[in-house]
Amino acid sequence: MAKFFNYKDIDFRINGSIFYAEQVSLSAQASVEPVILSDGTFLNYAPKGAVVGNLSCDFYLNGSFPSFLDVTNTDESAVTVSFAGITINNVFLKNVSFSVEPFQPVLISAEFDWYSNILFENMKEQSNSARQSKPIPSYIAHSYKSYIDQNNFYPDDPNDSLGNVVSFSYSTSCDRPIFLKVDQTIPFRCAKLNKNISVDLSANNLGKIVTTKGKNISTIIYLKDFYGQSLSTFSINGVMTSQSYSVSSGNYMLSQASIEKMITEEKVLV
Amino acid sequence: MSYLISGLNIQNISDYDSTQSYNKYDVVDFQLSTAVASYPQKGVDGIRFWFNNEALSDFSLNQDYDVTSWTNKVAADSYLKQTSEDDEEKPYVDFNADYLELSNKENLFGNTFEVGENINSRTIFICFDPAPYSYTTFDNQTLMHFDTSNSFSSSYGKLEIGGNDSFSDASFNTDGKIYIDGVGYEAYSKIYNTQNIICITLSKSGATKNLKLRHNGKQIADLNTFNDNWFNSYLKIGGNNGNIGIKYYDIIGFDGVLTEALIQSYEKYLFETYFNIEGLFFAKKDVPAGLETSPLAGGGGTFYWTRNINELFNLSYGSSVDFSCKLSTTDFDDGYKNSVARNINPITATFNFAYDGLTDIEAKSLIAFFENTPEAKKKSIYEDFEGVNMELFTPYKKDSEIYFLDIDHSTPYNNINSINIKGESLYDSSLDYKGLLVQLDEQYIRTYTSSLEGFEYNDVVYVDSSVFRDRGYYYYTGDSVQGSLPEENGPLGNDSHFTKNFYFKQDIDYSVPSQIRLRNLDLESSTREYAKAGINYNVLQFDLNFSNRSDREARAILKFFDSKIGYNTFNYTLPQPYNKTIKVYCPEWSHTYNFKDDHSIKAKFIEFKSAADYYAGFNSIVTFVP
Repeated sequence: MAKFFNYKDIDFRINGSIFYAEQVSLSAQASVEPVILSDGTFLNYAPKGAVVGNLSCDFYLNGSFPSFLDVTNTDESAVTVSFAGITINNVFLKNVSFSVEPFQPVLISAEFDWYSNILFENMKEQSNSARQSKPIPSYIAHSYKSYIDQNNFYPDDPNDSLGNVVSFSYSTSCDRPIFLKVDQTIPFRCAKLNKNISVDLSANNLGKIVTTKGKNISTIIYLKDFYGQSLSTFSINGVMTSQSYSVSSGNYMLSQASIEKMITEEKVLV
Repeated sequence: MSYLISGLNIQNISDYDSTQSYNKYDVVDFQLSTAVASYPQKGVDGIRFWFNNEALSDFSLNQDYDVTSWTNKVAADSYLKQTSEDDEEKPYVDFNADYLELSNKENLFGNTFEVGENINSRTIFICFDPAPYSYTTFDNQTLMHFDTSNSFSSSYGKLEIGGNDSFSDASFNTDGKIYIDGVGYEAYSKIYNTQNIICITLSKSGATKNLKLRHNGKQIADLNTFNDNWFNSYLKIGGNNGNIGIKYYDIIGFDGVLTEALIQSYEKYLFETYFNIEGLFFAKKDVPAGLETSPLAGGGGTFYWTRNINELFNLSYGSSVDFSCKLSTTDFDDGYKNSVARNINPITATFNFAYDGLTDIEAKSLIAFFENTPEAKKKSIYEDFEGVNMELFTPYKKDSEIYFLDIDHSTPYNNINSINIKGESLYDSSLDYKGLLVQLDEQYIRTYTSSLEGFEYNDVVYVDSSVFRDRGYYYYTGDSVQGSLPEENGPLGNDSHFTKNFYFKQDIDYSVPSQIRLRNLDLESSTREYAKAGINYNVLQFDLNFSNRSDREARAILKFFDSKIGYNTFNYTLPQPYNKTIKVYCPEWSHTYNFKDDHSIKAKFIEFKSAADYYAGFNSIVTFVP
């Protein structure tokens, strides 16, 4: 008889920590190329690279932001994910994002690449007792008290200021190139490349128009729960690169801005 | 700073310091000590005897090249000798060696090595390289023996080695011992099949005695009791019945106990002269501080340090190799040609070794390794330095000697480095029936017997037949079989599922350029005139691509080219619309290892206009005009 899992029966953990996820999806992609011979016959599909798995999840932040979800640091190490009773090693974080919208809980989205040999047929439900013994989170990040700091938002121009922010989103991402030894299909290293942070925000006013170099901004995003309990902060010293103003029938005019920050590291002399 | 370090384009490489710990991939310049090497000068420092074979004229040789005496370098009237009529007791001299090897009964002895008058002390250095007693036993072997007469009947005054010094872990325990008067002291480093320096200082004053024993620069014993035989005048070396042999490089004796500084200087001289251990070492794991973990320290040394690139770095996909056959080609008329290999190993294999995804520390270590390769030990007295022992990538052999030539380092981002090293294989030979680089390894390429089991399409087998035409490599083109094959389906069967022909098919996209061989007469003030160049004016030369092929097929294709050695001809059926079978040879081919089970091969085929048989005939008439 076919086995179907119910959402409530799925246990999802990263590095052993329980994640209260709204959705989790797991996929794997092989890269192949057909080989056709000179006489027109088909030989086979040749492998062109490692099987790349993708894992994405949306979860509620119920505590401080875990360090293994920090895309911008120099730690390249993998995390271990357990999902429906199977363990996936060699899981590498690619991006993390969240949006702060009026009256909404803050949902964190994370995306990973993974390189493992896993047996999907080994998936299983968690036991009733395991499900029932899960702790109930005390805090969940919420837009009600979370905000983006507007003090000295434009540090280069004290006469420039941001208006009332309606919503904003934060995203960090990087490329994860993999490196393999000959004869191996699991990478020995998954590096971090092109790390950056971007923030999009909507406000009634963005201040002065951007210049050819953009507009430097300096701010901190505070994530708090509904009752004002601080959960995490995110500092951004970036550049505003785009501004737009739009209005539609029956709505207020709103402006949108994009802020970018490229993360660099000074080389450590060896 | 040593000249090794200053010669590198890499900063932050330092002399080895045993008081420091090191991290994986750290590079150090190891020296026995920081002392300056000093050559023991004849006539000073109280040298009593010095035996080495740097001056062969000091040897007395009979017509069998047996050594009958070994002259003391610092006193012509003093020598070690062998007067026995028994040839087995006389050592054989190897004129190409810088040592004298004594094995089995071979021994030399003399009696003029007493300590000088009123001198009750001596310092002895002995530099040697012993094999274990036998291939399976580690019994004690006598290095040198002082005694009161040439009977050498006493069991005292003896310096011996013994015990199994193999290390199985990093615990640094060794059963390899150095014996004084029959009492063993733990050796500082490995004893067998490597050079050793032992220094003994002896002194006595009335009832007070002292003997210090040093092994490879480290004191391993400090004794206040030992036999007086050590001050006697008779000295014997060798005479270990049944042993494999001990190579004696230098034996130096001084009157008096030398200062620590002088001892270190002379040890350094011997070390630099005979050891190949000085130079750069690479940490293959994090190294704790301590003498036990120094590069010299036997098991500890090899547990933590290496000079073997295969223990440090792994090749990446994208590694490739270009093969080229050095041929001297003579073009005859009518499109015929004669290609003769220039030497017995005409194929040059030039590898591109890719190392991707290196951290900065790893890249630093690899660049230092590359830049230091000319400092490898001399290959022989006729040749310069040894190449790098490389584990080549699939499907090539795992122990090829490669000379590194070029390095290309690029870094796309912080702490991500790609290094490509170009290297040449010079000492792999097509004369080896197992193959040049794609070898008969009995794992992927097996010797065919009627009981051999398991065959897949593109499997390669070697048939060892007494009939020359039947001998060689065969390629399986049948269906998968678990067991053995019936005789008729074997390589030499009437319904063989094997072939020796080139049966591989190139990629769907191919091109066959063709140029008619014409003579061209272009006289001034005249129209150019073309004339056909003999009877064979359509001689093809083209490249074939075999892209994205599996490990098994790539191995078979590369083995085919490998076995043809660049100049042997074979049949090739041209693709549509030609479809004709012609004779070709393949003087150049290249291979890139793209990914697991994904190889790309490119080959140049040149048409050969004559019978590809053991006897090639020519249809041209060659007329010599007087």
